[in-house]
Amino acid sequence: MAGLPVRELFEKIREELHLTLVTDPETLSREITTTDIHRPGLAMAGYTDYFLDERVQILGETEISYLKTLDEGGRLAALDRVCGFPLVCLIITKSLEVPEGLLERLESHGTAVLRTPMDTTPFIHALTGYLRDAAALTTTIHGTMVDVYGVGLMLAGASGIGKSECALDLVERGHRLVADDVVTIVRKEDDILIGAGSELLKHHMELRGIGIIDIRTMFGIRAVRAMKRLEVVVRLEEWDEDRLNAERLGLDDRTVEILGVPITTATIPIFPGKNLSVLSEVIALNYLQKAYGQHPAREFNERLREWMRKQAALRQEHRHDLE
Amino acid sequence: MIVDELTVLNPLGVHLRPAGKIVTLCSSFKSEIFFLRDGKEANAKSILGVIALAAAEGSKIAVRIDGEDEAEARYALKELFEQRFGEY
Repeated sequence: MAGLPVRELFEKIREELHLTLVTDPETLSREITTTDIHRPGLAMAGYTDYFLDERVQILGETEISYLKTLDEGGRLAALDRVCGFPLVCLIITKSLEVPEGLLERLESHGTAVLRTPMDTTPFIHALTGYLRDAAALTTTIHGTMVDVYGVGLMLAGASGIGKSECALDLVERGHRLVADDVVTIVRKEDDILIGAGSELLKHHMELRGIGIIDIRTMFGIRAVRAMKRLEVVVRLEEWDEDRLNAERLGLDDRTVEILGVPITTATIPIFPGKNLSVLSEVIALNYLQKAYGQHPAREFNERLREWMRKQAALRQEHRHDLE
Repeated sequence: MIVDELTVLNPLGVHLRPAGKIVTLCSSFKSEIFFLRDGKEANAKSILGVIALAAAEGSKIAVRIDGEDEAEARYALKELFEQRFGEY
């Protein structure tokens, strides 16, 4: 993940996670480079071989009450073991008191100390969720996204080829528009892409010859959805016999990579009289069938080969049996 | 490929009417034309794409033009922006 300054994190989540800064504001300049967090209890107790100092450190009830069992010398030695590392930042949960000696050790290193009244586990979940979102890869795609039978379908292709018209037809048939023209894609986890429209454009659409319309007010709430997992990319391409490499068999599943995630794709050649919405529906259903373990093209191929095997066996049988 | 920078000079910024002019102009060229602002990329031949940039007065838009008529496209775009899209 690209470095996220602690200051930026603090300013964005201070209200939601009720954070207060204990150290000097200057200490907020370090950068967080990983979405994981770390609890330094073991290091306090003496095991420092595997200390993950690049992570955000969390002090909860466990660490603080452990420190309380030590005498002053032991406590300071425990803090020294942890504070010897160049920590990014340290957060104390449950409004627990800052252990004596901790602030001096960290402030001089330039490490920020924050506090929250939240319980440790919910706080860690909220913080990790936020860090993951901040670290997520994003990209913008020039295309139109529609939820077709629950399958997130992206219509892609050159300007003016008919992406919006196709989406409009799909909306008329009861499917739901996610975004027209400008789709923001965010990668969640390692292999999930989520598509959404821009906050400004929402579900507006531009149609040549008509202008800008609002799908949500025109067709109602059932015709739109805010975001959807992207599962299939449908490329619309002008019919060109030489160049176009349209699928004819369907035996191999073609994919296109977006943010490093392979996404099923199909290319539809465009010419007058083509019914794009029916084709889009079939592509979505075909994807669903495969997701449920059926592969029509391969199954047909199996049948074909079986048929030929039987025919060959029959011919063999009859070879010398001339009547 | 040409990379250039355009500045929005009219007080109202790139609202619908200027966006319409930009898209009509860009669509008359064969080159691919892309706008980039604040890390957002938009196809300059798409009305919604151009509007989504929400480029207010004073915004700088990076433009990337690629194709056989890129030089003419760059010149025409520069002129359109400098003429404040025909607004005051």
